[in-house]
Amino acid sequence: MPEPGARRVVITGLGAVSSAGIGVADFTASIKAGRRTTSPIAGFDTTGFPHTHAGEVHDFEPAAWLRRIEPERWGRSAQFAASAARLAVADADLTESALAAARSGSVMGTTSGESAVIEELVSAWAADGLKSLGADRVGAVPAGRIAAAVNSELGLSGEALTLATACSASNYALGYAYDMVASGEADYMLAGGADSLNRWAHAGFYRLGALAEEICRPFDADRSGILTAEGGVALLVEPYDRAVARGARIYAEVLGYSVNCDAKHMVHPDPTSIAACIRSAHRSAGVTPEDIDYICAHGTGTRTNDATEVAAAREVFGDRIPPISSIKSMIGHTMGAASGFGALICCMALYEGFLPPTAGVERVDPALGPGVDPVAGAARPARPRVVQNHGFAFGGNNAITILGRAS
Amino acid sequence: MSTAIAETAADRPAVAVQPLAITAVGVATPAGLGLEALGRALAEGLVGHAEEVPGEETPPPRPVRTVPDLRTAELIGRKGVRHLDRTTQLGLVACRLALDSQPGPMGERTGVVLGTSMGSIRSSSEYSMETLRQERPYLVNPSLFPNTVMNCAAGQIAIRHGLQGVNATLAGGHLAGVQALRYARNALRQGHADRLLVGGVEEFSAQAAWGWHRSGALEPEAPVGEGAAVLVVEPQAAASAAGRAALARVLACESGFAPRDGLAEGLAAVVGAALRRSGKDPADVTTVSLGSTGRTGLERVEERAVELALGGALPEQVVRVKETVGECFSADGVLQIAAVLGLWQREGRTHGGTAVVTSLSGDGLVGCAVLDTADPLG
Repeated sequence: MPEPGARRVVITGLGAVSSAGIGVADFTASIKAGRRTTSPIAGFDTTGFPHTHAGEVHDFEPAAWLRRIEPERWGRSAQFAASAARLAVADADLTESALAAARSGSVMGTTSGESAVIEELVSAWAADGLKSLGADRVGAVPAGRIAAAVNSELGLSGEALTLATACSASNYALGYAYDMVASGEADYMLAGGADSLNRWAHAGFYRLGALAEEICRPFDADRSGILTAEGGVALLVEPYDRAVARGARIYAEVLGYSVNCDAKHMVHPDPTSIAACIRSAHRSAGVTPEDIDYICAHGTGTRTNDATEVAAAREVFGDRIPPISSIKSMIGHTMGAASGFGALICCMALYEGFLPPTAGVERVDPALGPGVDPVAGAARPARPRVVQNHGFAFGGNNAITILGRAS
Repeated sequence: MSTAIAETAADRPAVAVQPLAITAVGVATPAGLGLEALGRALAEGLVGHAEEVPGEETPPPRPVRTVPDLRTAELIGRKGVRHLDRTTQLGLVACRLALDSQPGPMGERTGVVLGTSMGSIRSSSEYSMETLRQERPYLVNPSLFPNTVMNCAAGQIAIRHGLQGVNATLAGGHLAGVQALRYARNALRQGHADRLLVGGVEEFSAQAAWGWHRSGALEPEAPVGEGAAVLVVEPQAAASAAGRAALARVLACESGFAPRDGLAEGLAAVVGAALRRSGKDPADVTTVSLGSTGRTGLERVEERAVELALGGALPEQVVRVKETVGECFSADGVLQIAAVLGLWQREGRTHGGTAVVTSLSGDGLVGCAVLDTADPLG
């Protein structure tokens, strides 16, 4: 619950770099159409892998989007983050000088940081030993460079924080940005996340038996797992009063959030702990289960995730589970950026009036029990007022944000 | 640009912050296990343990500092340890040492805030290497996969102690200590936990040591080190009410961002803001704990920033923990704090100490924490 006297916090700018397009308009159009944008991997050599599809951002040209930082000095995740942030600021119709002159910073989530850079270095190690590591590429490795790239690109002098809370990291970031703006520590925060496709995660998920062959279909009886993916996402967060005063378009209000930890298992999520996180997020936002019109699911596409996520929702919502869909069915699992993309599509759902779909659902898995509505196919027109965005992660890290239509 | 930074920083609300009590500390460093060993090494100018950690790869020809004996089996048990990498083991040992020095269990409403730079670089790079070496690229060990994810250590700490509060991993590198305290302060204020383990961890590996060696970011004679430090932190009022004595309190932790040619001014502005929020005058500062020792081009920048912020000179006590532990990257910040606490404890200092702990990175991040002795807490 925000402290008495705390400022209301809204989202006024959205930026996306994804397989479903660059920029919020292309991304949203693709998601609303239920278009699957995963494809055969081109970013690394897939020879020998039985499964070779992912949500890759093909033909990303950082120089086309970045004006201040030199792309070659940064890793792919930092380039995604800085590009998404610049897009979000442009979308918010905010001048660069106004942003830089205010108390502005960034908080970005990630799972694997600059994993593509590490894999480049590992190639050098494999070819000629560790003594052959390139100094420039070594300098691009630290994951903290993801938020540093945002601040550098936009000339921000506030904090630049990179949260590495794996696949719930962007929700962690949005929660932290909300607190900083609500408490008056910052006037603008760019919140989001970024990750790059990498070979080792592809191999690891395959060996865990979690990787789908070609199609990710959460909630479907014939689902077979996740597709790894990449991208960058940024949301511009500012105080409600400031947004109104400058005549900004308000996509959504951040009503509250919650974070907790299962503290049980590194890779198996726990429904009771997730239900506790949902309840706590509702308390933080000052809403009840009846107020929630839509759940943007973590929805990875594994049987375990679906069973856990629906069981947790059932604990809180009983038999009236709100429509619950997964955009990972279209863009794959963008890891540290995933809940940021979820938050972005929630903003658009509230602003334009629709429910985002789950692609590829032919028959909802009966094992999930009655009353599961995954918004199969394409977006459904609706007027959601309050929505809930899920992010769960390795290590039992749960983070849930609650967004509302701005009144 | 630097003037703009100073103005922006000066514009920050100077509202007082709720102090946090540090009620326990656990450290694993090249000086040995525990705060006393670190304090003694610093006071007597002892050099930390200088043997390489065994591994398949040969480290570069430069000095190293490593933790001599983790006593893993004795401190955290043998169960399930086989698959844990050194980063996670260092983190678990430091937490164990911190918790052992506190009476009573921590409880579910405890959380973890842990600093890293990229997790265990040895784990992720060796996993990546396996995809190239194996007959089939996917023939990697699934039970080692979690080690490649940056929040592995924080997750394991929570699992082993049943800590269900916020569980955050911050990839701040040299800034991770300040960022972790800042994150912790907010998380406690928002009620995401009642108490927090706030730490930083970095393991020595040939991969990372070669990275440092090839990057040119460290002076040739500066050792590459490793270590972990964990603070038990809670609101001062809660610690007092429960009768838990504090070693020190954290007054403020501020961070900002500056262009490369404005790092000194940027850091000075952040130190100034932190002192104002702490209700401290530059003249009150008795101690500074520096983070850039041995880092090419940054050591002098950091000293100049502190001199600027404190009105011209460094204070009487200047702590350079890296002279003992070497370059510990994301463990630096919390080790800098532990170093101050170790020295103060050794001096029997129960009042009159105010420390400024500074951090900066060549990328532009600048940060600072302000601590003082915990006299009013007993």
